[in-house]
Amino acid sequence: MTSMAWFEDEQRRLTPDEVQSVTFPVSRLGRRGLEEESVRAFLHMVHAEFVHLVNERASLWQEVQRLRHRILDGERTADEGSVLFGEADAHAHAVRILSNAQVTADRYVADAQAYSSRVTEEARLRRDDIMREAQQHADLLLDEAQGRAREAAVAALNVTSPPLNERERQAAQAELAYLRTYSDVYRAHLRAYTEGVLQSIEDWERKEAASLQEVTLGRDPGRQPSGEASLPLAPPNRRSIG
Amino acid sequence: MDVSRLRESFARIAVHGDDLPLFFYSDLFIKHPEVRDLFPVSMAAQRSHLVDALVKIVSQVDSVEELTVFLQGLGRDHRKFGAIAEHYDAVGDSLLTTIRHFSGPAWTPELATDWNAAYDLIAAVMLTAARDDEGRRPPWWRGTIVASERRAFDISVLLVRPEPELDFVPGQSVAIECPSRPKLWRYYSMANAPRQDGLLEFHVRLVDGGAVSMALTSTNAVGTELRLGSPVGVLTLSSPPSGRDILLIAGSTGLAPLKAIIEQVAARPEPPPRIHLFFGARTAEGLYDLDNMEKMAAQQPWLTVIPSVSDDPRFGGETGSLPDVVARCGDWSRHDAYIAGPSDMVRQAADRLAAAGMGPDQVHIEDFGWSGP
Repeated sequence: MTSMAWFEDEQRRLTPDEVQSVTFPVSRLGRRGLEEESVRAFLHMVHAEFVHLVNERASLWQEVQRLRHRILDGERTADEGSVLFGEADAHAHAVRILSNAQVTADRYVADAQAYSSRVTEEARLRRDDIMREAQQHADLLLDEAQGRAREAAVAALNVTSPPLNERERQAAQAELAYLRTYSDVYRAHLRAYTEGVLQSIEDWERKEAASLQEVTLGRDPGRQPSGEASLPLAPPNRRSIG
Repeated sequence: MDVSRLRESFARIAVHGDDLPLFFYSDLFIKHPEVRDLFPVSMAAQRSHLVDALVKIVSQVDSVEELTVFLQGLGRDHRKFGAIAEHYDAVGDSLLTTIRHFSGPAWTPELATDWNAAYDLIAAVMLTAARDDEGRRPPWWRGTIVASERRAFDISVLLVRPEPELDFVPGQSVAIECPSRPKLWRYYSMANAPRQDGLLEFHVRLVDGGAVSMALTSTNAVGTELRLGSPVGVLTLSSPPSGRDILLIAGSTGLAPLKAIIEQVAARPEPPPRIHLFFGARTAEGLYDLDNMEKMAAQQPWLTVIPSVSDDPRFGGETGSLPDVVARCGDWSRHDAYIAGPSDMVRQAADRLAAAGMGPDQVHIEDFGWSGP
């Protein structure tokens, strides 16, 4: 254990930081060890106490120095008043008072800030909750509306449609006639286009066969076949109908 | 000056913890009450800044170059707090008193000489840097909030008019002080490249209990006169350009410096690199500036914007933690990465990119080593 070194070395003194940063090896599996969190918490306390003691010792040392000087000065000047309270003491007191006041002010500011932070955080979380609820509510409404629409569609299919009146019947027939014409025209277009493509493929095959023949007959292999096979890559112009 | 003796002395007094700076400031304020006005009401953060700076100085006292850069920055930075040459003498006096007080019987004339010499050196570097800076720019700028727009319940976009004009490099930040929170400075990045009208855009997220952010996002912020410190920061495009494509990772208002960088690229004459911007937030509402970014992407063929949300699986785009999303979406090893946002996210993303083979010169993040007055 590395920490034993402190006790073996008389010259070395333990510092608060060493208390804070000490590490112990983990006990082997199956053997009883201490709970790490508790050890850590205790070390934290020891550290704080240590810093406190170190600071206290420093200020006591200062106090001893101050008194020693006072006594020496008092002996020299034979002024008993300066033994009790001198200018340096006034400054030391002032520093202490101001430090305490500052720490108090810091605490007030920190408290106010912590409070403001808590309030805004709570407000933000509350807002998030409300937004989430609203979103869920909206989703629910949407699902419901979609469900109803589906039901309505199914119902509409199942119910025999009510008899049409004369005008509606004529309109429907006109619509039907229009659609038939449209489909006829479009079919004609499609046929023409497909035939065009077939024609081109045939052309292509014929010309390729011809050029191959030319090559095998040994006539000018570099010559390009005359006239390129023209594939109608785009369908014939689509004219608007109706 | 005996460096090891100095360090030994510091280690001995450092065990006194918070009592050390507490004594120092009390001593300083009693001897020089006028200095108290340079500090905020609560001194708690201030005290830990002082100890941090002392620790840094004492540990680097023999690597002069690095320390000099730190101290020069510190000296320039202190201009906005209103520090002047006389204050340096006062601080030196109280610092020595403090060290003597806590050294107790270990205090020797040699130590006094060491500490005096060390402090004189520190003060000289800081003061010289501050004086050099005086000819170039004011200690702070006045900045009037001319517009404030709430984009999400906790995010506001501010437009600020600085006086005099404030020149900066896109990606940089300034410390901001609010009149209602005197002596509390917080860093915010400019969210635009320098503009013709000189206005600065800031993206402010309301931090729970955050003194300054609360004042800045309050509904009646327009018209408020702020103080702005000198622009600082290293989250800027390398110059000359590295030639690599660019990966930008923005968490929440970390978008601000990266948006400034995009504007800079758009305005440069040279052909722009390809830029991928990942913009992440907890919820879709937190993507407070996505419309503008997508508009920009529609105009600039080199810019791709990928929004991502971590806490709402129903979001239409990418979902998950931002570093995960970035890693999932491609191989970035040949890019320059710029990352800004909550510090945890920035660290994770930077680690992931480094693990994926990106060199340290390719990953750029902001480091606010010194952020307090």
